[in-house]
Amino acid sequence: MAKPAVRLGVVQIGLLGALAVLVLRAAQVQLLEGRRHAAEAQAQRTEHVVLDARRGTLFDRHGTALALTQETYHVGIAPNELRDPGADAALIARRLRLAPRDLDRALRRRYAWFAGPYTALDVEALRAVRGVHLEPVLRRFYPSNEFARAVIGRVGDDGLGASGLERLLDSLLAGTPGSAVVLKDRAGREYESPARVIAQPIAGNDVVLTIDAELQEIAQRALDDALDRMDAEGGDVVMLDPVTGEALAIASRRRDGGARPSAFTETFEPGSLAKIFAAAALVSLNRVRANEHVSGEGGKYQLPDRLVTDEHPLPSLTLADAIRVSSNIALVKFAARLEPDEQYTMLRAFGFGAPTGIEFPAESPGKLRLPKDWTRPSQASLAIGYELAVTPLQLAAAYAAIANDGVLLQPTLIREVRDPAGAVRYRHRPEPVRRAVTPEVAAKLRDLLRGVVAAGGTGARAALANFQIAAKTGTARRVVGGRYAPGQYTASFAALFPADDPQLVVVMKIDNPQKGSYFAAETAAPVTRSMLEQALAARTVALDRARLSNVAPTAERAPLDEINEPDGVVPYVVTIPAPASLPDSERVQPARAVPDVTGRPLREAARTLHRRGFRVVVKGWGVVHHSWPAAGDSAAAGSTVTLFAEPRH
Amino acid sequence: MARVKGRHWLAIWLVALLAALWAVIARQTASLNAARALTDLRAERAGLEGKRDELERRIRTASSRAVLLPRAQKLGLRLPADTEIILVPTAPPR
Repeated sequence: MAKPAVRLGVVQIGLLGALAVLVLRAAQVQLLEGRRHAAEAQAQRTEHVVLDARRGTLFDRHGTALALTQETYHVGIAPNELRDPGADAALIARRLRLAPRDLDRALRRRYAWFAGPYTALDVEALRAVRGVHLEPVLRRFYPSNEFARAVIGRVGDDGLGASGLERLLDSLLAGTPGSAVVLKDRAGREYESPARVIAQPIAGNDVVLTIDAELQEIAQRALDDALDRMDAEGGDVVMLDPVTGEALAIASRRRDGGARPSAFTETFEPGSLAKIFAAAALVSLNRVRANEHVSGEGGKYQLPDRLVTDEHPLPSLTLADAIRVSSNIALVKFAARLEPDEQYTMLRAFGFGAPTGIEFPAESPGKLRLPKDWTRPSQASLAIGYELAVTPLQLAAAYAAIANDGVLLQPTLIREVRDPAGAVRYRHRPEPVRRAVTPEVAAKLRDLLRGVVAAGGTGARAALANFQIAAKTGTARRVVGGRYAPGQYTASFAALFPADDPQLVVVMKIDNPQKGSYFAAETAAPVTRSMLEQALAARTVALDRARLSNVAPTAERAPLDEINEPDGVVPYVVTIPAPASLPDSERVQPARAVPDVTGRPLREAARTLHRRGFRVVVKGWGVVHHSWPAAGDSAAAGSTVTLFAEPRH
Repeated sequence: MARVKGRHWLAIWLVALLAALWAVIARQTASLNAARALTDLRAERAGLEGKRDELERRIRTASSRAVLLPRAQKLGLRLPADTEIILVPTAPPR
């Protein structure tokens, strides 16, 4: 047996060893693994939460919200926390629109969860109910669900843009999420305490679109009515501002109720709408004289590979006649004077065969083959709008170039981008693509198109009495599954409003109208006129009425001083703020006599003067006492006549 | 001046400790109240924004052509033709 001192020494060494192990372990835990353990402890007590950023709002050009982000709620209910389970359950069922039986079943669980999402209005009355727990969640909200749906698109379940502009502009709209740390108890429930914000969420940018809500509604409604009335398969309407390239309305609809963005993505053969571009090449290259006639061939013209026909043949036609009555034969004959390269170059110059560049995903470039790939009848086919596939938007942009003195602009849907503080980060400026034709040629083309809506033209049913428009009809056979479908047509119409100094380009397309006529002259043309009338009568539509009132009225030929309205019809008066300086000097108008409107009611007098082509300023109320310039004086059309009125005695 | 005795020091430290604890608890209570008020305000704002959006939606629906035109037609009204529309310039606003 060892001596006590030795035993004591052994115990001491053992204790020292144990102490050393303890110290080493402590060093390992605290020094080597300290960070990891600290992180684990932190994770058990705290939780990082993502603070969602508010997605930017999409506005129309006048500031009407088209898509915005709203706080909505998921609702959780702890049944054992309810103070008055019967009354509370009834209130919850009413506010969340739940069947009482479903709610009863859900409340038998420890915790009932209703994903909703429910709006702030839905849950307002539940905020004060003990046991009801609201979890806020941001949700995209579209005030008018069907409004420009195909253009605006939608946000997916993941909160990211899934289609349309929501998708294209996702990086601008989405914003940057923030993060915060919240404290939790042992059971993982959040303490009610101020969260420690690590990074504040940054809201997304707001985007102001070029869309005009009222024009869009006019277009959508007109399209819906037309498709229902004509039992058509689908259709599109595109309205552009030719001076800026801004898209004011884009409506698309299919018979099955689908809202594909077909104005951007689906092509068709434009038929006679493309004749004006063959005419552009002929006029630009001086291949035709104004008074030069070609034979109408009695309505049937046999080419080596195809028979060209006209519905309403004329004995002989000028180029203007050919456009006015939409003669296939005359256009084919005139276009034979062009080289394939020249014809191709003109179509390319107007933007066919390439995407317009508008900010929209998956825009179709259309189809225009290179001249080396043309067959023998290609030149004739292209002159009358076949062997060419275009989107309604491409057509609108091309017609806008004619309206814009020959300059093709890149169409746009985005007018402004504003940061969350409201500062403008981007503002659209017109972006010229190229000059397609000279201003002189563009003016001649507008003159040709003006004839289409004159008496005897194919677009006469689109004519307005007081405003001249320039337009073209197109009725083309439809391609289905790569072949021309028998008895199926696409009716389309393109209009420049007004013909002088156009402010609006409208392209309307109706696919396969089955009830009534299939000709564009009787389908798309009158619908376009109705849309223009509605646009004129709407107060907020993006038309410059001061410029419109300068346009010489077309009804001059009608009796001017007589009101021929049926009894009880009151003219609709749209008041417009006169610009500070009227651009009269820019327009030299012929002088004409100021009519005598003394003693007439103001409205009637204003109407008479307006029909004479004068602006009107009214002083006083009642009946007209005198005018300045006085009745019988000579004044330039477009100048202002002031009416001084007195109360009727 | 009499020397402060040990037990007095103890009492002073105890009072100081209690005061410090009271200050901490008071601050926490105040911040919790502020957080609650902030949450309530946030909820109220969200509620008001929701109301505004809903009312705007209703106004837009009520003033849409889809609603107004059929009602106007029932009343015997119709859209004016372009011949019935007069553009009358008014004086620019000062």
